Amino acid sequence: MIKNKHQEQAQAYAMLSPMLLLLAIFLISPMVTGLIMSLYKTSLSGITTFVGLRNFKLLLTEERFLTNLRLTIIYVIGNISISLPLAYVLAMLITKKLRGATLLRGIFLLPWVVAPIVSTVLFRSLVDPAFGPLSLLLEKISGKQIVMLADPFWAMGTIIFHSVWRSLPFMALFLASGMTMIPRETYEAARVDGAGRWKQFTSITFPLTRIHLIIILLTISLWTMQDAETIYAMTEGGPGYSTEVIAVRMFKESFINFNLNNGAAMGILLLLLGATFMFIYTRISEKD
Amino acid sequence: MKKQILERILIKILYFFFFLFVIFPFLWGFRTSLAERFETALIPTRFTLMHYKILFARPEFLIYLKNSAVISLLTIFATLIIALLSGYALARLKFSGQKLSGLLLILPLLPPVAILVPLVSYFQKLGLYNSIGAIVVANVVFNLPLSVWMMRNFIRGCPVALEEAALIDGCSRISALFRIIVPAVGPGIVAVAVFVFINTWNNFLYAFALTSSQSLRVLPQGILSFLGNWGTYWGGLTAAGILVMIPPVIFFLIFQKWFIAGIFGQQLK
Repeated sequence: MIKNKHQEQAQAYAMLSPMLLLLAIFLISPMVTGLIMSLYKTSLSGITTFVGLRNFKLLLTEERFLTNLRLTIIYVIGNISISLPLAYVLAMLITKKLRGATLLRGIFLLPWVVAPIVSTVLFRSLVDPAFGPLSLLLEKISGKQIVMLADPFWAMGTIIFHSVWRSLPFMALFLASGMTMIPRETYEAARVDGAGRWKQFTSITFPLTRIHLIIILLTISLWTMQDAETIYAMTEGGPGYSTEVIAVRMFKESFINFNLNNGAAMGILLLLLGATFMFIYTRISEKD
Repeated sequence: MKKQILERILIKILYFFFFLFVIFPFLWGFRTSLAERFETALIPTRFTLMHYKILFARPEFLIYLKNSAVISLLTIFATLIIALLSGYALARLKFSGQKLSGLLLILPLLPPVAILVPLVSYFQKLGLYNSIGAIVVANVVFNLPLSVWMMRNFIRGCPVALEEAALIDGCSRISALFRIIVPAVGPGIVAVAVFVFINTWNNFLYAFALTSSQSLRVLPQGILSFLGNWGTYWGGLTAAGILVMIPPVIFFLIFQKWFIAGIFGQQLK
């Protein structure tokens, strides 16, 4: 029997080894390398020298980077504060038994199935100053012509709108999967006690899906925080630096200017920012 | 009674608004890809396939298409094999360190854009930089944690009895996995394959970071370069977008039942 136990253990490790090796080599160890790289500086002639925390110090005192940081937070909070309330409404609609609901559910998930670059192209054509329906609508409302992607406010607005469009369906489906686990009797009992719709939401639906809320908040926040490609394809961070979030700056710095040491330092700061989000959300979930 | 009817109508209206919100960019893209170049009407009176023809006349578009297809197939194949092995071990075998498997759900939250910086220098040292292999490895690695997790859940949901009979008959673990588990978790395998396909086909970042030659570009990169060259030629750009979204959308719609069950749990199926 003891031999069997050892055998089983050996078998398990053997079967897990391809995954463990790949993750160790290409996911875990790059993080360590990234940390080391962030402590060095490469001169134009290709000589690397140890500079300690200098890269971080330069970034954290640089006005452009502080703008990057501020914009990252605006991007994440902007996306979530619009998509989350809508996601609750959509989730409650989805969990209602309606005819044709299954097909519709599939269609609701399409924004998430489409490549970010492709949906960016769609949104750019929607805000095209000459014929895009969204910019024509804005022109009608405001009475003046606005080139949306050339205006710092509307450029960020378009980016957040696009990311709401992409996140909302996923959030709604995830919250809906939590809602379907609440037994019907709970609501029936509340109704007998005279609880209205809003009361049912605040005292049953919301508290019982809180774990789903925390998971989806964390996932969407981190996805939004890491998103470089849609903003790069939408505005390249412009006009000026007005939509340049950390991920975009890092993308440009590393893969276009090949300043890998600086890129690595930004990567570490991005990881720390992600950990901060995680810390805040787990604190909220532990509270009361 | 009246209140209930009113509520029903309200729900339908809300549903319609969400539907419109989600579908409108697609409809607009489809319309633009078929409209003539400087058409401004919301619903044009004349349609043309010109933009699609222009696209297929460009040799580089076909190269990007081929690259994307090859990379996606290789990634799906490698990810499925590795995820089956690991998923089986996590679902059925006992070993120390099993409790760490929850880490699989944390790993996908790490920012790929940050991990790619050191990966570029890794692949340069390995001589893999600027190759299809580098893109495949990156895709496999970033897809693995969630794929293994999903596979583990599917295998767990499958009855142990059949497999035990085979094991008692002297069948090895590996052949039990491929002869008994694989057929039994077919829908799960399809769900994981579709998940990996969507992620890989749509991915832009890994190919952009890990290659430099134009002949290795994938479709999303191609679209970005069209965006740079064509500026506001929306007919051609939306036509390219529609073509790129067709494969994942079709696979997703065909297999959505299994797919949604795999990611969001059985209840929503």
